[in-house]
Amino acid sequence: MEIIPAIDLKGGKCVRLEQGDMKRDTVFSSDPVSMAKKWESLGATRLHLVDLDGAFKGKPQNQDIIEDIIDAISIPVQIGGGIRDIETIDEYIAIGADRVILGTIAQKSPKFVIKACDIYHERIVVGIDAKDGKVAIKGWAEVTSKSAMELAAEYEDYGVAAIIYTDISRDGMMQGPNIETTRELALSVDIPIIASGGVSSIDDIKALLPLVNDGVEGVITGKAIYSGSLDLKEAVELAGKYRTHYSAD
Amino acid sequence: MIVVVDYGMGNLRSVQKGFEKVGCDAIVSSDAKIIENASKVVLPGVGAFRDCMRNLEERGLAEPVIRQIEKGKPFLGICLGLQLLFEESEEFGTYKGLGVIKGKVKRFPAMDHLKVPHMGWNSIKKTKEVPFLADIKDESYFYFVHSYFIQPEEDVAATTTDYGLEFVSSIWKDNIFACQFHPEKSQSDGLKILKTFGEFN
Repeated sequence: MEIIPAIDLKGGKCVRLEQGDMKRDTVFSSDPVSMAKKWESLGATRLHLVDLDGAFKGKPQNQDIIEDIIDAISIPVQIGGGIRDIETIDEYIAIGADRVILGTIAQKSPKFVIKACDIYHERIVVGIDAKDGKVAIKGWAEVTSKSAMELAAEYEDYGVAAIIYTDISRDGMMQGPNIETTRELALSVDIPIIASGGVSSIDDIKALLPLVNDGVEGVITGKAIYSGSLDLKEAVELAGKYRTHYSAD
Repeated sequence: MIVVVDYGMGNLRSVQKGFEKVGCDAIVSSDAKIIENASKVVLPGVGAFRDCMRNLEERGLAEPVIRQIEKGKPFLGICLGLQLLFEESEEFGTYKGLGVIKGKVKRFPAMDHLKVPHMGWNSIKKTKEVPFLADIKDESYFYFVHSYFIQPEEDVAATTTDYGLEFVSSIWKDNIFACQFHPEKSQSDGLKILKTFGEFN
């Protein structure tokens, strides 16, 4: 299973928000490039970049720093935040993004997801934010009656390469990931799930590891590695550095 | 000069930056003349086989690339750049490739417990000693993103990788080295391959 460090960018700095609230941010570093290199050197095999300003404004705001990060490291990078048109995807792919993450737009416009997947199949990842298995929208302000599984099945049909599943009641709260809903979601689709939200310790990683057999290929961690409650190197070693999949036997 | 062929299929910059990191100059070009005069040619590629092939042809770059290979210039194919060397692919129908290597490109069958695309880190098994992999240990890990794999009909396999089935993950034939995985995204081992290619004479 891949342990994927998150670098959330706000005003060119590496920050973390609590429960998605732009006002509740903590600055971890004013040098995201060094941060990226640090995570790479500690064994990360992928980085998760989020352009928070982009997410809130609906168009990318931190491209220069993202470009610098991609240039500085030799591991795949996935990027999300404010990606709402094909041109933006083109730009991110052109600067070397491995995968782009669609958020808000994916729920508003299935057509857009289908188009993006048609052009960049294998590189389009969609985020599903949910609370207790129900999909949350509008920057987590509203929880719908739609189940995450239902939405995931739709995305799978559209051709997305993977789903990032964020349990919003856990994100940034370090209460431990929601193992059961994550497993259920992974078992319900044939595309990989990346778990996000709630990891605070090596015990949480241990609890998630068996889910690799159910199709959970990675886990995104942010606050825990910045606060030091999770040692990235230890987590990567425990997870089996490159084991993003394995046969059941 | 190493020339990375730009045919509008993305991901060129990472390859160019990868060469920079190991101290080799590489330029990105879509100019047939520059490609024809390159000392080494790199063909990357992401996206669908048919789109890549169509783009290469529409830009008049298929012929220069083939000529460079025939002239014996060191050639590095990455991902789609490997698949394009073959005769045909079954991606979205049947499409003709450059036909430099005999064989086909097939889709992974549906397999229990294994997702397609094969996306992530996986190890390689060397099937023969290859100059471009001289510094790479057997069972090293590289980064893969693909739904299709090559089935060569000549003895070109340099490495194989297990993903439900054993597929050829890189090939070596004379001046050609091409890999399904992405050296530019495969940490230090990946950079070693770029370095070896960049310094190869």
